[in-house]
Amino acid sequence: MIPRRWKGRRPARILLVVLALTVAASACAPDEDTGGGEAGGTVKLGFISPVTGFVAALGTDMRRGWEMYWQQNGGKAGGVAVQTVFEDDTGDPEVALTKARRLVEQEQVQLVAGPILANTAYAVAGYVAGKGLPTVQMTGADDLTQRKFNPLVLRVGYTSSQSNFPAGQWAYDQGHRTAVTICPDYAFGWESCGGFVSAFVKAGGKIEKQVWHPLGTQDFSTYVAQARQANPDVVFIGSAGGPDAILFYKSWTGFGLKDRIPLVGNCCFADQVFLREVGEEALGLQSFTYWSEGRDSPAVQNFVKAYEQQHKEIPSLYAAGAYMMAQVVAEALKKTGGRIEGADFINAARQVSLSDSLYGALTFDDTNNVVGPVYRTRVARRDDGTLWSVVEQTFPEVSQFGTEGKEAFLEHPVFSRDYTGQ
Amino acid sequence: MSTARWAGATALGAGIAGVVAAPYVLPSYVVSLLTLVFIAALLAGSVNLLAGLAGLVSIGHAGIAAAGAYGVAWATVHGLGLPAALGVAAALTLAVSVVYALTTMRTTGIVFLMITLALGITVFGLALKLSSITGGQNGLTGIRRPAVVGEWWQFYFFTAAVYGVCLLALAALSRSPFGLLLRGIRESESRMTSLGYSVTAVKFVAILVSGVFAGCAGVLLAWNSEFMSPSAASFSRSALAVVMVIVGGTGTLLGPLAGAGIVVAAEYWLSSYVERWPTVLGVVLIAVVLYAPRGIVGGLEDLAGQRLHRPRKEGS
Amino acid sequence: MSVDELLLQALNGLSFGALLFVLASGFTLVFGLMHIVNLAHGAFYLVGGYVGIITVTATGSFPAGIVAGVATAAVIGLASERLLLRRVRGKELPEVLLTVGIALVVGDACLAAFGGNPRSTPVPPVLSESVRLGSITYPTYRLFVLSLAVALGVLLYVIQHRTRLGALIRAGVDDREIAESLGIDVPRVFTATFVFGAALAGLAGVVAAGLLTLRPGADTDILLFALVVVVVGGLGSLQGAAVGSVLIGLVDAFSKALVPELSYFAVFAPMAIVLMFRPSGLFGRSGT
Repeated sequence: MIPRRWKGRRPARILLVVLALTVAASACAPDEDTGGGEAGGTVKLGFISPVTGFVAALGTDMRRGWEMYWQQNGGKAGGVAVQTVFEDDTGDPEVALTKARRLVEQEQVQLVAGPILANTAYAVAGYVAGKGLPTVQMTGADDLTQRKFNPLVLRVGYTSSQSNFPAGQWAYDQGHRTAVTICPDYAFGWESCGGFVSAFVKAGGKIEKQVWHPLGTQDFSTYVAQARQANPDVVFIGSAGGPDAILFYKSWTGFGLKDRIPLVGNCCFADQVFLREVGEEALGLQSFTYWSEGRDSPAVQNFVKAYEQQHKEIPSLYAAGAYMMAQVVAEALKKTGGRIEGADFINAARQVSLSDSLYGALTFDDTNNVVGPVYRTRVARRDDGTLWSVVEQTFPEVSQFGTEGKEAFLEHPVFSRDYTGQ
Repeated sequence: MSTARWAGATALGAGIAGVVAAPYVLPSYVVSLLTLVFIAALLAGSVNLLAGLAGLVSIGHAGIAAAGAYGVAWATVHGLGLPAALGVAAALTLAVSVVYALTTMRTTGIVFLMITLALGITVFGLALKLSSITGGQNGLTGIRRPAVVGEWWQFYFFTAAVYGVCLLALAALSRSPFGLLLRGIRESESRMTSLGYSVTAVKFVAILVSGVFAGCAGVLLAWNSEFMSPSAASFSRSALAVVMVIVGGTGTLLGPLAGAGIVVAAEYWLSSYVERWPTVLGVVLIAVVLYAPRGIVGGLEDLAGQRLHRPRKEGS
Repeated sequence: MSVDELLLQALNGLSFGALLFVLASGFTLVFGLMHIVNLAHGAFYLVGGYVGIITVTATGSFPAGIVAGVATAAVIGLASERLLLRRVRGKELPEVLLTVGIALVVGDACLAAFGGNPRSTPVPPVLSESVRLGSITYPTYRLFVLSLAVALGVLLYVIQHRTRLGALIRAGVDDREIAESLGIDVPRVFTATFVFGAALAGLAGVVAAGLLTLRPGADTDILLFALVVVVVGGLGSLQGAAVGSVLIGLVDAFSKALVPELSYFAVFAPMAIVLMFRPSGLFGRSGT
């Protein structure tokens, strides 16, 4: 138990004296680690993604996508060599933050890319921006480039609600007047459904019911049953992908709803992870997304081919997203001549305009978010039999503010259970 | 002084010198890891108070820490000054500790464990659900620590000092009559009752006291990250705290610190170099159990006891 | 709630409960006899499930998958007990920590071997249809899980009450010291029980992979359910595991249907209620 030498008052007194010393010492600042600064023609970038933990698949794909860009471009841009230090955030914000600290303070990176989960992204972006360094993100968390905008944060991607605005409008244009939405009961789900609902309602549609399910639901039959009971014209599913999407769809088809009620998925519902598991049953499934691996564009097809050759599977939207992050960073480096200096770099990145890319023709708006095309896709079979999604319709230049415009959009609060877009 | 006391004093002195010197000789990142170790050790210490003395293993203490953390986080984000923020943290910590205490004071062993498990998960769930207050899954950003400990090395000293004070308090508690009461409860609740003590009252107070330490850890955590999200209350955080206690040596004073050192080193430091770090941590845990079943500090004590007392017949 | 809804949710609850029973029975057996809280139980479930999935995918045979999954989990259980747990017999906290270490190693090995993507078993066509039950259609696979659990329950009951091994186990659970003093080779019985428990976990994993998906972290998720079931039912009691699984399964299903906001905590409600009135669980013995 407590060893005898701890008893008595002497240790206590010693400890107290030393505590006083500690407090006194805290008045003397140690040398600060100098950060930033190039090492003669090389820039050092930090990349954080969850390679272990419950979203390990996403993080691994992200790394692969990022690495592929630099591989294809000789590991340099803007006249400087680019070196990346990779960190694993395990899907936990504390760990993500500590890894960001390591990247900034020990590895002295000049920019941090990632991570993916919204809470980890907020933690990392807050810290990195606080240190005056630029950070690029691909997480969908709406507010990152809206109400929580920071000039040092650039999102190379779409907000969670963005790609669903066209979905809502399109659903109405198809003649659907009532809808049921099924989204997970947390920020990503609220924002995804918010995008669809706000557009659908604005067009004149009515939301019969909104089904919110807990993350990690294993059994969707009750939610599918609720949707069936409401008997809407269309059902919108705003899934974060992965197990939830797979299990939902199994229930959906198991209840025979596949041919009875039209289903529309969000960006991340029918991704490659889903298609690999679900297989044939997914044929014909329609989604609104920004990444279509079957899109008939040289940029996409070259990427898919190279990725498949190296990793034996079709790239997911996480691999594509990380590739896009790398591409934008490279383009920005070209503009700044290989220099990364705080907000200047982000400003240069914001000027990047691509006529075609994995996402299509994109630019950035003045709160550092992508303005780009959203695709209505359908799951189809490739020549060799594997499943992927191909484009049926393109909605160009979709903004994170939908059709409202920035001021009007920012007047209402972020999508949540209290403000669902109706 | 005897050899043992000299050895102990030297070790103590060296340890403290190391703690004080760290920001001047180690890189800032490593020092920030040490800060995390102290915070984790404080949470583990609160678990150790109940587990080591009273034999009550709580696998939900991260929930109490999160209460303190959210208290200070919410208050700071809403512009309340430091005293008010600490007041909110204290109130929330106490409230949650009272709930823990009331629901578990009549239980021991596995039942105690399971109820604390449920409570910890409930706190996690509440943090997720009450998103208008807690920021939900996305968490709360913009929690600034008090300006006086704003710099990384200042905050490190502050955390080390807080940990030192808490360590003193825990040691004093352990030696105190109250500590003896807790040990008595672990030995035999019925005996304590027959001696006239109200076992439930003692447990109630113990859980509250333990909660105070956990709440402190929570406040430090929120200030350290300047960010707060429900994962701080998760089951794995609580479980890791228990792992730290057992690995370090349940019931020893410095056990939680040793355990925290190992777990933090694996999760935050080793993970940068080794992708299979959970395997390494698992192997380390297995090795500790097999070769030092009383934990690291317990094992060191045994070792020290053998080496220092060998020349003598009896202990000094 | 309509009758259809009621029936549907009841079946959902029962089939999930069936899965929990397969898992929890192993856990409670091990605790009842050896007083080990095996926190690696979820990891045995995970590895058994993954091995089952790749076996079924490779061979096309569902029974082969079951055998492979069960065998893998059993072997890992055997190694854990004989090489590791045996060395710290009787010391509760070290035992728990040891199982945590094993869980970490096995879980990480699964990630390394099978990757992070969610995986599920390609269920044989005969089981992947739906069946008409009155006015609802219900997936056949879930009914299969239900029947499997019932069959297992009967088997376990027979083993416990009609075989020598069962008598040994019951004796050990009742009073370990007397059992030892009667000359029973307790270490052998312990090993057999632990391996059997691990095998059951592996079986649960293979079966679950047809119903849910497996991914990193699934071991902890399901372990929590198993813990609640076992505490509600009473540690060491098979009837308790059965009743507990049914109860928790039903509560889970109905709470997700009626109060999804609270479904997170809902499974703890029965646990809290039971513990208030019977701290040792519904069928547990006081003193465990």
